[in-house]
Amino acid sequence: MAGPWIGRLMAYCGAEVIKVESRDHPDVTRQYIPPDAPERGVETQLSPWLTDWNAGKRFVGLDLRHPEGASIARRLAARCDIVVENYSAGVLERLGLGLAELRRARPDLIVLSSSGYGATGPCRHYRTWGPNLEALSGLATVSGFPHRPCTITQYAYPDVASALHGLFAVLCALEYRSRTGQGQHIDLSQFEVTVASMGHVLLEFLANGVEPPRLGNRSRHAAPHGCYPCAGGDRWIAIAVASDDGWESLCRAAGKPRWRSDPRFATREERVANAAALDEEVSQWTRTRDAYELMHELQRAGVAAGVVQTVEDQFLRDPQLAARGFFERISHARKGEVVANGIPLGLTETPGRTGLAGSAIGADNEYVLGTLLGMRAAEIRRLADAGVVQGEHAPLSACRGANTG
Amino acid sequence: MSSGAEEIEHRGGTDRPQALAGRRVLELADESGVYCGKLLADMGADVIKIERPGGDPARFIPPFWGGEPGPNRSLFFLYTNTSKRSITLDLRKPRGRHLFRQLARRAHLIVETFPPGYLDALGLGYASLRELNPELVFTSITGFGQTGPHRGFKCSDLVASALGGALHLTGAAKDPPVALAGWQAFITACAFAAASSLIALYHASRTGKGQRVDISLEECAAAATHVCGAAKWLDDHIVPRRGGTRLFASVPSGAYPCRDGLAYLMVNRVHHWRALARWVAEVTGNNVLLDPLFDGPSANRQPHGDFLDAVLTEFTSRFTVEELYREGQKRHLAITPVRTAAAVAGDDQLAARDFFVPVEHDAGQTLAYPGAPYRLDETPWRIRWPAPRPGQHNRGVYGSELKLTEAEIRSLEEEGVIRSGWPPLAHPEPSRESASWNSLPAWRVRGSAGSWRTAGPR
Repeated sequence: MAGPWIGRLMAYCGAEVIKVESRDHPDVTRQYIPPDAPERGVETQLSPWLTDWNAGKRFVGLDLRHPEGASIARRLAARCDIVVENYSAGVLERLGLGLAELRRARPDLIVLSSSGYGATGPCRHYRTWGPNLEALSGLATVSGFPHRPCTITQYAYPDVASALHGLFAVLCALEYRSRTGQGQHIDLSQFEVTVASMGHVLLEFLANGVEPPRLGNRSRHAAPHGCYPCAGGDRWIAIAVASDDGWESLCRAAGKPRWRSDPRFATREERVANAAALDEEVSQWTRTRDAYELMHELQRAGVAAGVVQTVEDQFLRDPQLAARGFFERISHARKGEVVANGIPLGLTETPGRTGLAGSAIGADNEYVLGTLLGMRAAEIRRLADAGVVQGEHAPLSACRGANTG
Repeated sequence: MSSGAEEIEHRGGTDRPQALAGRRVLELADESGVYCGKLLADMGADVIKIERPGGDPARFIPPFWGGEPGPNRSLFFLYTNTSKRSITLDLRKPRGRHLFRQLARRAHLIVETFPPGYLDALGLGYASLRELNPELVFTSITGFGQTGPHRGFKCSDLVASALGGALHLTGAAKDPPVALAGWQAFITACAFAAASSLIALYHASRTGKGQRVDISLEECAAAATHVCGAAKWLDDHIVPRRGGTRLFASVPSGAYPCRDGLAYLMVNRVHHWRALARWVAEVTGNNVLLDPLFDGPSANRQPHGDFLDAVLTEFTSRFTVEELYREGQKRHLAITPVRTAAAVAGDDQLAARDFFVPVEHDAGQTLAYPGAPYRLDETPWRIRWPAPRPGQHNRGVYGSELKLTEAEIRSLEEEGVIRSGWPPLAHPEPSRESASWNSLPAWRVRGSAGSWRTAGPR
């Protein structure tokens, strides 16, 4: 999923992004069965993940196993600045779309190959999804509470980290190309991105030979530092106090002079050493409080505090995200309009925008093949009849598998 | 620009060009923004880290190399400040502000993490700097952005992860929400900031117009969780929450026990499910998973998750982690070990790719660093030198580049404008100067008598 999100971000910034798919190998984000109507089966255009990962792109359907399909792909590459691919090692070479062929089509092309383990090495063919990489990188082991040997996110964090690092790498290559006219190949290993993203944690082993302790929400240099229960079911507030000023502010806001005079909490070092007792005190105090009221009280007192929000909270109860227009309304060919989490690149002079929320395989065949490549309508029809150019008019030949990002 | 530091020799060599060579960056960043500077510096940009006189308090974020605190011993600081130069500068003094304007005039990019309005109050905000340098890109990383009712809120990695939705989606349902290790909200925001800054630089070099880049930690965390975000929730009305190691839409998925540890297994396509079901039947003689009831997409297996987990647990418990990993991958199944830091450091794939890079420090000590997140074949990523000492490059920057005379530099040092010496002086005034620096520990400095004392900023 790292590859598709790079394209999503580029499309948001105004790049023309063309997604090449085939009916046999549709993007995994299309594998969606509506939970309220599973009898309808896979609904490739209705998938919300299509919006999250593939909005704003043009969609062309090509059978790359067919020589004419590969040839069209090479002609497309010749018209592009950047190719992003995440095929298993060796597949594109077999299709006649390897780096050498693509460079023949366009010498200054920038090609990013995204994979789980990288393009070289004994494990280059291994398969992973985001959570596999959390486990493999050690992130799942060094994160979380001491009694949990494996802590996993529901949002496939390594996919996101890999896409952002991949985007940065492509932009570096573009900068180099605009200076020198030279393209290049980028080998992006999601495993390596994930390890680099937690490099300072790993460094504790590399430097000192000890496993980084699982701290849960605690900090080695700040206390209180954690998620504290609030009134209501599964309601929490995060509070982070690092300085003596912050501690005094917290004691004042909580109306707890007793905390301030407690010798166990007198200095930052004492508070960190007695974090368990301190967490218990703070939890007793927050337990009956409304999370949002408490956040505002603490922030007014200058204490870093935030409600542990769900997406529903963010959408309905977060005036900051609302004021900044974080959620984006995007038009959708069949649903009319959908809403998606924003792309917070923060470019104030050249703000981004998402076009269509994602459409069918081959929805833009005519534009891509006709307008961009100048192919005649009869030629496109002939290739469509031969199954080389594909659209979603026919049912998906193999609605393989599940429905996740 | 001359580096003033000796380049580290390693794989790829130092003769190869770097993609961002020639880009001049000023970094005024606390722990929330330093990874952005690292991304730029390791790709060749000249990143000048501007520290307060005496040095950045982030130099004392634990843990430390060898367990002993020191200005260049914090592992976080060492990791996130590779390939940068350091100068010290007091922005609260008029001569300090004058020097900063001279630096800003020559810079392509400024990366800063002060609270909204802080630099404006010093006359050093984007509005005044763009007058000096219209092509300047000015990237701000703050908790909530430069606008909106919460722009003045205090933030931290934990608070950003909470409001951004990441905490609610991490860990076990029975536990409180929990943060990922290693300040991943900061890392995510820094990756956004680095990419945005390059986009803005690209725009500036085509149009001559720089811009403000306004990065919000809360928004970056919310963007990172998008697969559990608004598009899906508004579609199926299910509010995603943390749920252990199993992913909500993939059955089976999760950490399964082996004889000597855990392995993570995830099935996401129907042919992977069939391969797994066949393998289980082969090994156990139990054909139950081949039942057509379980075939097809994950949705078909969703009602039977607990039963499938019981069968799979019995299966995986017969293997060591290593056996399950290698044999599973041979069968094209996404199975990976749940690794400790030590196991990652010894990983065969990372070793084959020379991922860890030795970096030589002062006094001949060498430390292996996690290496390149990406491999560009023409312009390789490179740690050029380790994190600088506070003000290590004062003479190079103020002398060679701003052309100050030695007498001028000395007078600036005497006035405390660019004082680089160690230990730092305590700040004379109680510091409310920067809320973004308030999450840092008080500096602990070993005094001459060998006792601990607390110095600046409060």
